[in-house]
Amino acid sequence: MTKAYINGISCISAQNTIDDSWFFDSITPANGDYFSAIEPSYKDHIAPNLIRRMGRAIKMGVTTANLAIIHADAKKVDAIITGTGLGCFEDSERFLLAMLDNNEQFLTPTSFIQSTHNTVGSQIALIMKCHDYNFTYVHRGFSFESCVLDALMLFEEGKETILVGGIDEHTPNFVTLNRRAHKLELQDTTKPIHQSTSNGVQLSEGSAFFLLSKYKSDKSIAAIEGIKTLYKPKTSEDIFEKLTAFLKLHNLTLSDIDVTLMGFCGNQHFDKYLNDLLPKLTTDTAIASFKNLCGEFYTASAFAMWVATKLIQKQQLPQSIVIAGSEPKHIKYVLVINQYGGVNYSFMLVSQC
Amino acid sequence: MDALIEKLKKQIIEQLNLAEVNPDEVSADSPLFGEGLGLDSIDALELIVLLEKHYGIKIEDPKDGKVIFQSLRTMAEYIKAQGKG
Repeated sequence: MTKAYINGISCISAQNTIDDSWFFDSITPANGDYFSAIEPSYKDHIAPNLIRRMGRAIKMGVTTANLAIIHADAKKVDAIITGTGLGCFEDSERFLLAMLDNNEQFLTPTSFIQSTHNTVGSQIALIMKCHDYNFTYVHRGFSFESCVLDALMLFEEGKETILVGGIDEHTPNFVTLNRRAHKLELQDTTKPIHQSTSNGVQLSEGSAFFLLSKYKSDKSIAAIEGIKTLYKPKTSEDIFEKLTAFLKLHNLTLSDIDVTLMGFCGNQHFDKYLNDLLPKLTTDTAIASFKNLCGEFYTASAFAMWVATKLIQKQQLPQSIVIAGSEPKHIKYVLVINQYGGVNYSFMLVSQC
Repeated sequence: MDALIEKLKKQIIEQLNLAEVNPDEVSADSPLFGEGLGLDSIDALELIVLLEKHYGIKIEDPKDGKVIFQSLRTMAEYIKAQGKG
């Protein structure tokens, strides 16, 4: 499959990632059992007449998409592909609450229009005046992965520049409901996340966008070599077997991987297979975690890809994310192994270019 | 009439999330659409709902909206004419 060159990136997350100079310093802790995104002043990025109708997911998505395009100095894109697990949740909630509060009367159009999952992609297209391919994947823990896979296939079909991103937001009600369902739990930050014995995660939100190109240019920061998704693998051996085959497909073995970013979420049950894999990986690569920084959400893998790209760009592995293995001398290949809910597993391979 | 115009101004700013708009800078006679507040067709639907929700006025023919929603004053006059203000 064709590789994709990453020419521009931007990320809003629970850390100060919107500041391009931020590199794993001044780590912001969670608000107990959940993280909130550190958001910029949107007035600096979006026209006031557009902002007033946008929920946070749309503002985060449009801002990061815009910045990724600016970083890549791209004049146009051939496709816009967005991934989201929850979509524009704030507006969905607003619309449904208005329905309840007003006894299904006096429903206004704005929050309904803005509540659909593809609103972020469509707003980006409207702002960019892009009439080309526009698709939104809502595949729970595979939402962002599906975007990347689609982009790689579109490059094979002749597209040259594609904007890809993952966005999710939470609301106070969503946090409360997850808390009542015992899905959230305060993590013991004195221990690395993979050693957590908790039964919950720290919920979070964010947006990361990538301007991908079929061709390498002086703007290229890194390249996406490939992606693989695994739904409900039966054993950790099954995952390891698929991982070895995935690397072989790219003429690589584990010893070629410089850093492996693993999606430990803090829930000991969901993290079991990743913990089982750990001894098989640590002899060959440095292992790092990312959800201790960004928290857990459906498109946390987009944050992981942002981290992978940054590590390659900076050629440094910050101690705040290392959980095992030794620091590599050079970062050529970064492997992301993510899991969501112990159900959705994925591998993404990012390389220096 | 002036009190109703002020009340409408605040309701519109809140309903349409016009956080950037300073209420003191919106005059009773400046156009709501195009120039002036720069509202659009989605806002027109919001205004129809606003009249129904807050004043119990249902606009049956959308064409009437062009006249009613010209400015804050025309809105207020319409509400008064319906005996609701």
